[in-house]
Amino acid sequence: MIQNAWLIPVFPLIAFLILLFIGRFLKEKSSYVGITALALSFILSVMVLFERIGGETYTYVIDWITFGELTISMGYEVTPLNAMMLIVVTLVSLVVHIFSREYMHDDKRIHIFFAYLGLFSFSMLGLILAPNVLQLFIFWELVGLMSYLLVGFWYFKPEAAAAAKKAFLTTRIGDVGLLIGLVILFNQTGSFDYADIYAAVEGGMINETLITTIALLIFMGAVGKSAQFPLHVWLPDAMEGPTPVSALIHAATMVAAGVYLVGVMYPLFLASSTAMTVVAYTGAITAFFAATMALVMTDIKRVLAYSTISQLGFMILALGTAGYVAGLFHLMTHAFFKALLFLGAGSVIYAVHHRQDIRDMGGLWGKMKITSITFLIGALAISGVFPLAGFWSKEEILASALLNGDGFLFTIALVTAFMTAFYMFRLFFKTFTGEYRGGDHDDAHANDPGVDAYGAADVAEADNPRDDSMDEETHVSPAEDHDHHDSPKENSGFMTFPLIVLASMAVVAGFVNLPFLGYPLEGFLTEGINVGSQPHGELWLAFVSLAVAGAGIALAWAMYYKGSISEDYFASKAPGVHKLLINKYYLDEVYTAVFVRPTVAIGRFFWEMDKSIVDGIVNLIGRSTSSTGRTAGRRHNGQLQTYGLVSILGGIVVIALAFVLRGYFG
Amino acid sequence: MTAFDANWSLLTPEMVLAALALLVFTIDFMTGIHGKKPFIGKLSVLSLLVTAVLVLFMNNSGGQIADLYLIDSFAMVFKLIILVGVAMVIMISLHYLDRNEEIYQGEYYSILLFATLGAMIMVSSADLITLFIGLEILSISSYALVGFKKHHRHSTEAALKYVILGGAASAFILYGMSFLYGLTGSTSLLEIGQVMPTLFADYTVIMTISLIFMLVGFGFKISIVPFHMWAPDVYEGAPTPVTAFLSVVSKIAGFAIVLRVFTFGFLGVHEEWVMIIAVLAAVTMVLGNIIALTQKNTKRLMAYSGIAQAGYLLVPVAALPFIGTFSINMILFYSIAYLMMTLGAFAVISLVTEDAGTNDLSSFAGLFQRAPYLAISMTVFLVSLAGLPLTAGFIGKAHIFFGAAAADMLWLAIIMIVMSVVSFFYYFGFIKQMFMTAPKANDEELKVPTSLNAVITVALAVTLILGILPNIVLDVFNTFNWFALF
Repeated sequence: MIQNAWLIPVFPLIAFLILLFIGRFLKEKSSYVGITALALSFILSVMVLFERIGGETYTYVIDWITFGELTISMGYEVTPLNAMMLIVVTLVSLVVHIFSREYMHDDKRIHIFFAYLGLFSFSMLGLILAPNVLQLFIFWELVGLMSYLLVGFWYFKPEAAAAAKKAFLTTRIGDVGLLIGLVILFNQTGSFDYADIYAAVEGGMINETLITTIALLIFMGAVGKSAQFPLHVWLPDAMEGPTPVSALIHAATMVAAGVYLVGVMYPLFLASSTAMTVVAYTGAITAFFAATMALVMTDIKRVLAYSTISQLGFMILALGTAGYVAGLFHLMTHAFFKALLFLGAGSVIYAVHHRQDIRDMGGLWGKMKITSITFLIGALAISGVFPLAGFWSKEEILASALLNGDGFLFTIALVTAFMTAFYMFRLFFKTFTGEYRGGDHDDAHANDPGVDAYGAADVAEADNPRDDSMDEETHVSPAEDHDHHDSPKENSGFMTFPLIVLASMAVVAGFVNLPFLGYPLEGFLTEGINVGSQPHGELWLAFVSLAVAGAGIALAWAMYYKGSISEDYFASKAPGVHKLLINKYYLDEVYTAVFVRPTVAIGRFFWEMDKSIVDGIVNLIGRSTSSTGRTAGRRHNGQLQTYGLVSILGGIVVIALAFVLRGYFG
Repeated sequence: MTAFDANWSLLTPEMVLAALALLVFTIDFMTGIHGKKPFIGKLSVLSLLVTAVLVLFMNNSGGQIADLYLIDSFAMVFKLIILVGVAMVIMISLHYLDRNEEIYQGEYYSILLFATLGAMIMVSSADLITLFIGLEILSISSYALVGFKKHHRHSTEAALKYVILGGAASAFILYGMSFLYGLTGSTSLLEIGQVMPTLFADYTVIMTISLIFMLVGFGFKISIVPFHMWAPDVYEGAPTPVTAFLSVVSKIAGFAIVLRVFTFGFLGVHEEWVMIIAVLAAVTMVLGNIIALTQKNTKRLMAYSGIAQAGYLLVPVAALPFIGTFSINMILFYSIAYLMMTLGAFAVISLVTEDAGTNDLSSFAGLFQRAPYLAISMTVFLVSLAGLPLTAGFIGKAHIFFGAAAADMLWLAIIMIVMSVVSFFYYFGFIKQMFMTAPKANDEELKVPTSLNAVITVALAVTLILGILPNIVLDVFNTFNWFALF
């Protein structure tokens, strides 16, 4: 079966093609095409995983491009790492497809949505199965493009269109580094195949400075994709996309691709202690700063977005402190509980009529039983409460930071873990406990999709999820229907089933690497790749980790449930800090001022030079010659002479350059 | 050595094309000067295809007419690129001329065919005089083509600028060539190349000036910075299909003669010019891309984009002495990619801007709703120009990155990578208009004429196929021994 692993990405691709051609006629039924394809992919992934556990790495490649005397191959490969990733991606994608069937069912362009989801799943699975880093890069760009289309899916909201562009272009900045890194790597090793690269690094074929350079350049790609500081700014904005997209792309899969990239290139990173340090500190700084911003956000999805950035920082921190398994283990557990939290948020947003501000929520515990309980499981898991998935993987990261990092990294990790528990339970208590605050539709915090003239029709439809076109599962009488506008109610099985699946995973996924079973996942993942020995914490660390999580939850409980500490307590104590956090450290403004404006200004400058400065010279010449009676002042003719003049001057400059290069002028 | 006992049959394709161009001219006379004559356009496409077949059948294993004219694989591939390119330009013209009746159609097509003949002569010539004649046939025809919209001020102004500046550029080239002839007594590039190392050592200053003068003139023809300033004005004023012709066919033919002159004549003294070319390439990539960021007019934007693309193509020229045939492969592959993605884009631009009556970027608003196939195709052309994977543009660029790195010019590769990311910003301007903006005044479905549809489909197919299976072309290239010089 492992030989047929190539079919895993092909199923979603077929779904995409079907929807591309006949999606218009299928309308809502489009979802079933996508769901079927992903179900097949998931089943196949499970079979491949089991076969890989008992077997060996399978590689199939054919020649693809000939660059001079070097050949680049393409094909697919099933290693322990990507066998695990296949399960994560196909499972999350499958449940997101099921969830979207309900969440998106009022959208007129639902078939396009499912077509995009299919193409995204294909690209992401292709990225994972790639046997060499060039092929990875190709799919890497493709997932970026799909992210662009899906974030901008509701393009009639100006914020969504802007966010889509920002997401794509910001990650491109990281890709510059990645591509340069790949060029140097290819130049040094003559191959893109992982095995050849590992061999070249371990055989000492590349000198140490160059290894550091390459590793850091490749890491730039990961920084962009996995939204690490300082390129993290795109991810919160990407929340303008539909919530299932956030769950799939911006929580579980694409954003983890950066972590995955560091994972597959791990021997390269291990060979450079400088690179490892940079990776570790980038991760730690990202984890910390993102968590601080998550503390003050009031948009349910933005809290989760900053949380995602922070957790990705944790993974990067683990990888930077030699915790190969810890980082990838957390990648897997995080995918499940973060997708759960996002879909839970989606379920809430759907029930409260597309509002996202937690100040308009509250009191949903009794009204949305399944959503509430599964969301609680997700929150406990991410906070690292025993025995949920997050506990096991976070504990390993802490161990890694403590044993291979330094006191600073470990402290940052602990503080971040505390903040994580706090902001998650702030979110939980604000959303699910207390009184429902969303009854009034004129509420100032309403966060409806935009009301651009063109999109108004679609939005109106999306905003009234309970209209007559509802399917049977949730069909209710008109009287009750009216009632729903004020009182949120649990959603149908299409939305709760995915929550239950992911909640189960958030409970059990951590058990695959139990210490007293001898760390089975570690044995599996470290097979066939030289990643050094893995750090393991002692028992006390688990208690410290639990205590920190408990403290965070307790503080949130005191502030947002019990009310024994005022909600504004910290904001009023340190208003400056609060303002700084609300404004996201003003990074967007800084970037605009430092990078965007100057570049545009330079472009304008040279454009003006091509145009009006040249005109100035023309007029000068015109004036100086008019006294001789010649008629050289006619504007367009004059401009022409100037062009000629500039060309001649250019020629002289080049001649000068030639002489300089020859050393004529010393 | 006399040229008169040479094998003149090697010139069959050129002669046939000349005859067909004259035939087109004659038919035009017989049918009166005014009116629509799509059949002449179709006849022209047929002429080009017939010529292309003849080119394919010519012996490409080193046939030549004295030292003047080479029928080698290098010339053959360039000629095929040019012929296919012009055929596509004519297909685009069919629709454009339908909309602009002031253009005399018969003249337009026959001049386009003569321009093609000039380009074919350029890429085959190994002699300075032959080369110059080819260049002038192409240039003079181009001046006329730019001014074909007689009643439009922009078009005539552009033509006038082009004539004068083009003339100046030709003068530079001729002046540079005269030094070469004066010192060697020969116009044959092969003979000049043989004595070049000693010649350069003896007359360094004169030879440097000669080299630079030719470079200035060629730089004008291929529109590289700082000799690019004519391009935005001329591109904007010219009829759109002519803009496409200038930015693709003339440019590629220009690169062919740069390669001929620099490899045949100056390869022996490559250390003298490699850095100059590399610096020009860098400046061209940087300025072309950065100025393009500020453009809102589609044709001016494509002009700066074309300048930037010329910068990319100049990188392998700089790397040529170090990596030899690999470099020629890169230039040819990228030329094919560039031809397809640029002509595809121009086909869409021609249709959309004619429909909107403005060249502004906003004419693309909501195109995805009005013509989904057009919008998706345009997106593929743009991401290919920007260098995103699975397109020919990516493979071509990746090829050039690796080549530059192999030639120890990593800095040049890095500039290129950074600049191709900058290019995303302005290419995305189109994409944002097409997908994420509501249609402006006119939101009816946009009908795509068959001829344009054919061009777009061919360009799309080639862009994607070469992006996924580049070896189809690369394997063929690898069997050629380009100049037998390396």
